[in-house]
Amino acid sequence: MIQFKNFAVAFGERKVVQELTFSLSTNSITGIIGASGSGKTTFLRALCRMNDRINNFSVEGSVFIDGMDVYRPDTDVYALRRKVGMVFQKPCVFPKSIFDNAIFGVRDKLPKKERPDLVEKVLREVFLWEEVKDRLGEKATTLSQGQQQRLTLARTLAVGPKVLLMDEPTSSLDPKSTAAIERLAQSLKSRHTILWVTHQHDQAQSIADRVLVIENGQVTPLSTPIVPPEKSSSFTKILQGYPE
Amino acid sequence: MNAVTAEKMVLAFIGCITFLIVALLFTILGIMFLKGLPAMHGGFLFEESSDFGRAGGILYQLVGTLILMGVAVLWSLPVALGSVLFQTEYLNTGKLKTFLTQLTYILNATPTILFGLVGYLLFGVYLETGVSWVTGSLILAVMILPTLQVSIREAVEALPEKYREAGMSLGLSRPTQIWRIILPQSLYGIVTGVLLGLARAAGETAAIMFTATTFSGIQFPQSFSDPVPTLQTHILVLAQEGANPESIAQAWGAGLVLLGLVFLMTLMAWAFRTRMVMESEL
Repeated sequence: MIQFKNFAVAFGERKVVQELTFSLSTNSITGIIGASGSGKTTFLRALCRMNDRINNFSVEGSVFIDGMDVYRPDTDVYALRRKVGMVFQKPCVFPKSIFDNAIFGVRDKLPKKERPDLVEKVLREVFLWEEVKDRLGEKATTLSQGQQQRLTLARTLAVGPKVLLMDEPTSSLDPKSTAAIERLAQSLKSRHTILWVTHQHDQAQSIADRVLVIENGQVTPLSTPIVPPEKSSSFTKILQGYPE
Repeated sequence: MNAVTAEKMVLAFIGCITFLIVALLFTILGIMFLKGLPAMHGGFLFEESSDFGRAGGILYQLVGTLILMGVAVLWSLPVALGSVLFQTEYLNTGKLKTFLTQLTYILNATPTILFGLVGYLLFGVYLETGVSWVTGSLILAVMILPTLQVSIREAVEALPEKYREAGMSLGLSRPTQIWRIILPQSLYGIVTGVLLGLARAAGETAAIMFTATTFSGIQFPQSFSDPVPTLQTHILVLAQEGANPESIAQAWGAGLVLLGLVFLMTLMAWAFRTRMVMESEL
């Protein structure tokens, strides 16, 4: 599904990731851990070409996602980003309604009468529907941070990505919201390939099928999860009673 | 002298300067009101001038000024907006961006009489379009371009990068991002720029004297090649008739209206700018 061939990422002279060659399987969660500044986010952003606007950013080798060569000159970068969605560390909702935010990425392509159904579908997927169904017209900025993060995930899902890149999506959230997002990732795994960057080892091990460590430009696999998801601290204790 | 005394002295000095500036502004305003108000009768804004400007109102001068201001902004806005979006959304190289920015500031610092002269030579002499509201508005458009450009660029650059990244991550194309994220989020800044541009256009006299206006003999322009009467020319011509108190009174009245127009634009721009800052802090 995601295949790296001698893939290297650099800022100017500084190599963030060196000569990476391996594959990630479909419908799995890959945790990526590493110290602050080790290049986790840069690596993740490179997969959907979010660093293209940065002047001294460069890549070598190649990375294929679902058969698409990400850095081939003729690659349709917009199609790539629709295929590879990204959720950021801090939720960024547009100062528009919850409804408009949910379909922001597909509004122009979606007939008006199909919009409500899609909004409900994606908001249900992120366990947000019951909380907001009666106030879809309200500004998304009135939601809590955790709700906003789930809304940004719903907005990403509405575009229909096959791969989800999640850049420390719980770092600015309270434990309950963190548990909700972790649970969400598990439920999305059956339809999406997920890469989850975190600096918390226990979180990576609890949610991921495979954990990669980035250190000094080297990406090395960690052994398979030690702590099963259902035994993770935030997962079990806080999530009890959270909507299924 | 200890630090506290020095600080108090500096504070007193700055306070005096601030007071002087504010006092100067209020003095000018006060004089404008005192001298201009007597000319303000019920129909001053809605009657045409008569007796070579010594009587009547300033209807056509006001309309002419608004035509020049409005059309100049219509010419200038797409160019300013386009160049800002090119610089902020499409240009990646810092050097070219800096060069274009410097160019804008140079254009802003060019003496306005030069615009008038070049405009007169280009349109009036070489292209033989003569003195018309179209020519004048084109010259004004070039003159207000830097003001518009700087205001709009500030607004677009102040837009948090997270909005762009959110749009990018959803696979939105660059034009779609501009249309659905950049422009709506920068709207207040764009309106501020337009208002400041209008205010600047309203204040310009030298350039349009050569290219767009006439003192008498015209009301509404009937064609593209017609000149328009403007408040600026009206004030200038009447003020030159220093021996005639009626002319001077009318000039003060027109001056007060022009000042009010500029103040109105500036206040509105300030209100929009405040709104823009509040929005960007969301």
